[in-house]
Amino acid sequence: MSSPVIRLTLRGVLARKFRILLTVFAIVSGVAFVSGAFMLTDSVKTAINSLFEELRGDIALEVRTPIAFGDEATAKRDPVPAALVSGIAAVPGVSSVEVNIIRESTIVKPDGKPLKTSGPAFGISWLGQDGLDGRTILDGREARGPGEVAIDKASAKRAGYVLGDKVTVVGPTGKGEFTLVGLTGTGDTSGGGGASVCAFDPATANTFLGAEGLADSIYVGLEKGASRSTVQKGIATVLTSKYEVIPGEQSAKETAGAINDIIDIFGKLLLGFAAISLFVSAFLIFNTFAIIISQRLRELALLRAIGASSRQIRLMILGEALIIGVIATAFGILGGVGVSKGITALFNATGAAFPSATITISTRTILASLFVGIGVTVTAAMVPALRASKIPPVAAMRPEMGFTALQRSKRLFAGAATLLAAIALLCIGLFVQPGGAIGILGASGLGAILLFLGVASLSTSFAAPMSAAISRILPFPIWPMTRSVAGRLASRNAQRTPRRTATTASALMIGLALVSTVAVIAASVQKSFKDRLQGSVTADYYVTSDGFQGLPPAFAEKLAVLPELGEVSPFRISTAQINGESKQIGAVNVEMGDIVNVKLTSGSFAALGKGQILVHRDPARDLALSVGSSVAVTWQNGTTSNLTVGGVYNDSSIAGNWLVSIDVLSQASTAPPVDFFIGAKIADGVSIETARIAVDKVAEEFPSAQVQDQAEFQKSQEDQLNQLLFIVYCLLIFAIGIAVLGIANTMALSVYERTREFGLLRAVGMSKRHLKRSVRWEAIIVSVFGATLGVAVGVPLGIAVSIALPESFVNGIQIPINTIVVVLLASIVVGIIAAIGPARRAAKLDVLEAISAI
Amino acid sequence: MTSTTPTLVAAAAALNASKIYGKDDSEVRALDNVTVDFAEGQFTAIMGPSGSGKSTLMHCLAGLDTLTSGKVFVDGTDLSGLNDRELTVLRREQVGFIFQAYNLIPTLTALENITLPLDLGGVDVDQAWLNEVVSAVKMESRLTHRPSELSGGQQQRVAVARALASRPKIIFADEPTGNLDSRSGAEILAFMRHAVSDLGQTIVMVTHDPVAAAYADRVVFLADGKVVDEITSPTSEQVLDRMKKLGS
Repeated sequence: MSSPVIRLTLRGVLARKFRILLTVFAIVSGVAFVSGAFMLTDSVKTAINSLFEELRGDIALEVRTPIAFGDEATAKRDPVPAALVSGIAAVPGVSSVEVNIIRESTIVKPDGKPLKTSGPAFGISWLGQDGLDGRTILDGREARGPGEVAIDKASAKRAGYVLGDKVTVVGPTGKGEFTLVGLTGTGDTSGGGGASVCAFDPATANTFLGAEGLADSIYVGLEKGASRSTVQKGIATVLTSKYEVIPGEQSAKETAGAINDIIDIFGKLLLGFAAISLFVSAFLIFNTFAIIISQRLRELALLRAIGASSRQIRLMILGEALIIGVIATAFGILGGVGVSKGITALFNATGAAFPSATITISTRTILASLFVGIGVTVTAAMVPALRASKIPPVAAMRPEMGFTALQRSKRLFAGAATLLAAIALLCIGLFVQPGGAIGILGASGLGAILLFLGVASLSTSFAAPMSAAISRILPFPIWPMTRSVAGRLASRNAQRTPRRTATTASALMIGLALVSTVAVIAASVQKSFKDRLQGSVTADYYVTSDGFQGLPPAFAEKLAVLPELGEVSPFRISTAQINGESKQIGAVNVEMGDIVNVKLTSGSFAALGKGQILVHRDPARDLALSVGSSVAVTWQNGTTSNLTVGGVYNDSSIAGNWLVSIDVLSQASTAPPVDFFIGAKIADGVSIETARIAVDKVAEEFPSAQVQDQAEFQKSQEDQLNQLLFIVYCLLIFAIGIAVLGIANTMALSVYERTREFGLLRAVGMSKRHLKRSVRWEAIIVSVFGATLGVAVGVPLGIAVSIALPESFVNGIQIPINTIVVVLLASIVVGIIAAIGPARRAAKLDVLEAISAI
Repeated sequence: MTSTTPTLVAAAAALNASKIYGKDDSEVRALDNVTVDFAEGQFTAIMGPSGSGKSTLMHCLAGLDTLTSGKVFVDGTDLSGLNDRELTVLRREQVGFIFQAYNLIPTLTALENITLPLDLGGVDVDQAWLNEVVSAVKMESRLTHRPSELSGGQQQRVAVARALASRPKIIFADEPTGNLDSRSGAEILAFMRHAVSDLGQTIVMVTHDPVAAAYADRVVFLADGKVVDEITSPTSEQVLDRMKKLGS
């Protein structure tokens, strides 16, 4: 870039500070979410890795059972006999050996309610500060007998317990009462990253946590100077091949990795949202530049006339975009710190106790932010810059000869071609589904982007008639805005520059298209779910856990013996490989057949009792299975069960795709059982009230259990879906916020452009109030236009996605008319909000100055 | 045919130049087979009623606009054979412009505006010449001001200085005094006269003001896209007289 170009660029930016500020703001938010996502995941991961490294303490080696496939996140390992300890202790170089028992244990608060945690609630076996792991005593001492417990300081504080208090803990075997003798911590923190930890002495842990002579793994410490690899080999020789011995940090890393995977998912969600807001921002940037360039028509033509080459003009515009991009990225990264801290604070406020992490800003974060921030800005400015470089120099004297607009027919053709390509890609992505998840997301994602671009391009052609139509029916068809001068002016202005009206509306179109897509999918899922639940759930009671690890089996056992209840069955989930692929296998009692109607098409539920397997019709079709065929199921511990198919069923909404009996599961795997939910029916002749009292009495012992009847269960499932939707809507509202900014920006620019015109209107007697109203009406026309387009694009897209979703999710299309009406009405509000600033500016114009403006 | 080969001393010339806007029924002949040349070192005024094609002729001579048929030359170069890049270089190096209004880039100072064509071409500023030009238009004390801080007359003086700064072969002025009061206008015209007489510059000016035209060495009259008359060493009375005849 030669120096005058740089100078012109810089001055150009400085002269348009306000406009550029608005543009910058749009990009800042996108970049903030990109960098925030990276910072958050980086910081939390670092913190979690160091937490687990801290927790590892002096554990040099760990003995456990191997898993045949899968990772730590879903691993259900078979336990290790605690009796192995003596053999391992005898290996030369071993200084100490401890059993590791980690089971679910919930702390009950003084008010009788369970302590909610944002991580798992653990009970562990702990020798105290001198033991191998990295836990420390912050106050008091470790638990030494059957009636004692030490709790992590953060949880004790949240629950409101102090040393010496009687604490109720619910473990796998039921309720127990303990005296709080110590408060523990990890490294310099007083908590465990959102988890609650109850530490018992090994003997108590063995009984209360239901380990019964089994350990989850065995920790090994080394003598000073002993070679770890030698000791590792030594231990391996005393163990059978059923067990493995691994370095302690490997285990720590695996556990941390399992948590990191969850954080990555969260990070990806943020990135996906950042992508949406950046895409919307791109429209705003494009529009701002297009308008700035048409305002500077004479200036640019003058430059061309006195000898600036078209390349220099192009570079100048792109240079301005570059500066905006750099500024926005810098603020975006700062904003990212805010986003990251804000989300951490939000989670901590709900009790997550994220490990206090210093924000990590890695080179990757900065590079990604720069790439995204500058890339989006410069790309969006590319077309306006190209247009600017084509301004003929003669326009310096004859501005009317300024732009040679793209021919209408050409644009229609380009728009239609883009739209067709988009629909083709969407169809391929949604219905052909090539290349698994990446193929589906890639093809339909690209399709969606093209869809928006195509509609945005085509909408230029009908912006004028649509604006005219909107102004004829708003606010009421019998009293349209065109009856007033202000309204007529607004309507004409929206029609005057259809290209601008269309681009401005496009940003809102995207936001609202996404909202209506989600709304259609959500309504369809909700309706399908409700229909299915009503058809398939025949249980009188559902017991689910509000904790992380499900319900202790003791609960189902206690329910089963209640005379008030009839059939009771737990539902367990295990991971296994079938035909080389990892599958979720459900394990139930035969009684489940009376509790949930899976709609068998062949075979019988009773086949489960004979050790057979039931299969949903989809995998049955894929693997060509029918009653009597044999399936090899390989469990995580490596055991393979050859099972006969005892039935094929239709409804997988509750039961999943594969069902075996609890006996089959527990014969194959000795991993500590956890119930995902329990279904129960009331015994014949027992009233609902009596049964409920009996069930609630049992439930008192298990505070994390939630007993629900059919209606409650249905409602809680719907609530969960609504919560998820709420988050998605919140994120989309942000994108809509950017679109509002875009409309405000465009309106502000056109007010500026029409300074003279407004001056004239005021001079011939238009009041400030009318002028304001005119600006407001125009903004409303633009937003309603955008919203209508958005709904027109979003609803079919939502229907397409709903059709493409597996039948287990959606089996009927539901269009949420209410939501759509609300969206359309809300767009009027959007227009009013966007017009606040610009309308005020228009009204503030000094009449004389405005008229004499060039 | 009235065609004559343009003389070699001409700084700019048009040969059988025609410019037609629109098509069929709405066809407008802005220039109709115009042949004219502008001698080096002369101050020429182009006059004519509105719609006579005087501005179009100037735009085409300056390489801002293209002809429908015929040729234009600047310093012996046929502009019809040049592409956009070559035209850009020609405007930057051979041609200077003074417009009626909106002559300056609002974001640059007066001095930066003056040296802009040189800066755009990456040419070093000849400081001695720049000083001479700046003092000729009496703008020494206001060089760091932005256009918005200058009066209309001052802005035009900066525009004159900018046109002179790159020592172009020819300067085209489009109603340079049209937006000014008579005193400021007279000043600008005096500067232009001075540039021709004392600095050897060639200037072609489009105007409809007989007083302005009287500053020129020669006046060319256009009507309906054709050259209809010319006077050398005009007085404003002579010019007014001819204009009246054209108008009738």
